[in-house]
Amino acid sequence: MIKLENVTKSYSTEVTALRDASFDVAKAEFVFLVGPSGSGKSTLLRMMNRQERPERGAVWVAGRNINEMPDSKVPHLRRNIGNIFQDYKLLTDKTVFENVAFALEVIGRPRHVIRQQVPAVLELVGLSGKEDRFPHQLSGGEQQRVSIARAFVNRPLILLADEPTGNLDPATGEGIMRLLDRINKTGTTVVMATHDQRIVNMMRKRVIQLDRGVIVRDQARGVYE
Amino acid sequence: MISRLRYTLREMWASMSRNKTLTAATVITSTISLLLFGLTLLIQRGFDNQLKLWTGGVEMIVYVNHGAEANQVAFVQGALESQTTVIESVTYCSEACATEVANTLFAGDQDSLQQLIPKIPSFFKVKPIDKDSGEVLRTLKSTFKDLPGVFDVRTPDQQVEVLSQLKSFFGVRTLLISGGLLAASALLIWNTIRTAMFARRREIEVMKLVGATNWFIRLPFMLEGLVQGIAGGFLGGIFMLFINRDWTNGVRAFPVSSGLEGFVVTDGYPYTVWLIMILVGAFVGAVGSGTAASRFLDV
Repeated sequence: MIKLENVTKSYSTEVTALRDASFDVAKAEFVFLVGPSGSGKSTLLRMMNRQERPERGAVWVAGRNINEMPDSKVPHLRRNIGNIFQDYKLLTDKTVFENVAFALEVIGRPRHVIRQQVPAVLELVGLSGKEDRFPHQLSGGEQQRVSIARAFVNRPLILLADEPTGNLDPATGEGIMRLLDRINKTGTTVVMATHDQRIVNMMRKRVIQLDRGVIVRDQARGVYE
Repeated sequence: MISRLRYTLREMWASMSRNKTLTAATVITSTISLLLFGLTLLIQRGFDNQLKLWTGGVEMIVYVNHGAEANQVAFVQGALESQTTVIESVTYCSEACATEVANTLFAGDQDSLQQLIPKIPSFFKVKPIDKDSGEVLRTLKSTFKDLPGVFDVRTPDQQVEVLSQLKSFFGVRTLLISGGLLAASALLIWNTIRTAMFARRREIEVMKLVGATNWFIRLPFMLEGLVQGIAGGFLGGIFMLFINRDWTNGVRAFPVSSGLEGFVVTDGYPYTVWLIMILVGAFVGAVGSGTAASRFLDV
């Protein structure tokens, strides 16, 4: 589903975010990217949805080299990739329903599809009955669930999660992980960057560890070291 | 398609409502700029109308009394044509011909036409041999103004030259000023869109991440600028029509001997100018918002 070949990215002559990174992620796989701050986890995620381009190497997503993809095709690529963030990135002036519907609306989905898909995904993430609430009326865990619903409502092939439990207490974080696991079991590939040792050890999924832009470990059913 | 259109219009309206003060400032600036632009076109047209009376080297117009007999007309014509040493040519315009001229000058202004046509005089356009001699013109005027059948004699003296100079003076300068103001409007629209995009940067970021195309994101902003430009053109046009109506009424009250009766624009031209103003407003709005929406998409 995702393939990186010798990817290198620098932000300046002194800062190399990634150096010669290569790995494959299969369809429906769950992968943790771990490592200290500044190790290149977020850069890797940003390359997978073409928010950034490598200086060298290639990034393949769903069989296409996305670095060579024309800019006009990038939106279509992103419709197959859901994004989840530590700070949720919800729109504060929109309700839960509107936040999720927004993701469908801006890609031109008709109203009847939105009316059908949004309640279904809100039920999946456990937010039925809270459609009319605004983000500030929700807990952190609930806000992250809205963010997951928004990322998943279009049934993407891939879900990229950047520290999704970073702002949550352990119990809420576990709930979010259970939800991501359920989504992964529907066949969606999940790539998650995290610092959360407890969660990585609990999930026992593949772990790719980065250190100063270099992949130092790639372990199936790994733990946080 | 309908959902996209609904989204675009809704977002455009939301953005304009959120920035009421800036939107109002932009529309007011566009209105004033386009009003000045429209008035420039009208002024040019007014000068053209006024100059039409004196084109082709005509330096003197001899008006014959309304309803004058053919022999009286022939007498005046004979008197004019006998001045072969000072007059190069004489052209007669009958009352029917004068009505046609009036219809062109006052097209659409039924009040003026109704007042003028029942007593419209025929006239002779006279080209003197020496066009630059004010003395010759004054002598001719005094010779013919008291002839039987003659209603009035008009000479432009330096009027044509003054009119031409004024036309060029006002035309160029008002065009430059209105061009400058239009550029200011475009910049203000540009800045308004930039501010609107900055205010919605989080939404834009989310839109890009979920796969909205750049055009989809830009469109509400571009439409916002377009609407501001069109609103400026529309409102400026209304003010222009009021000003033109007041001017036309004012000119009608001038004494007949003022020589400014042609200095009005009364045919359908003001409406054409209104349309031009709306189109120019739309263009300015589209350019301002289009460049901003493209440039600041990565907010």
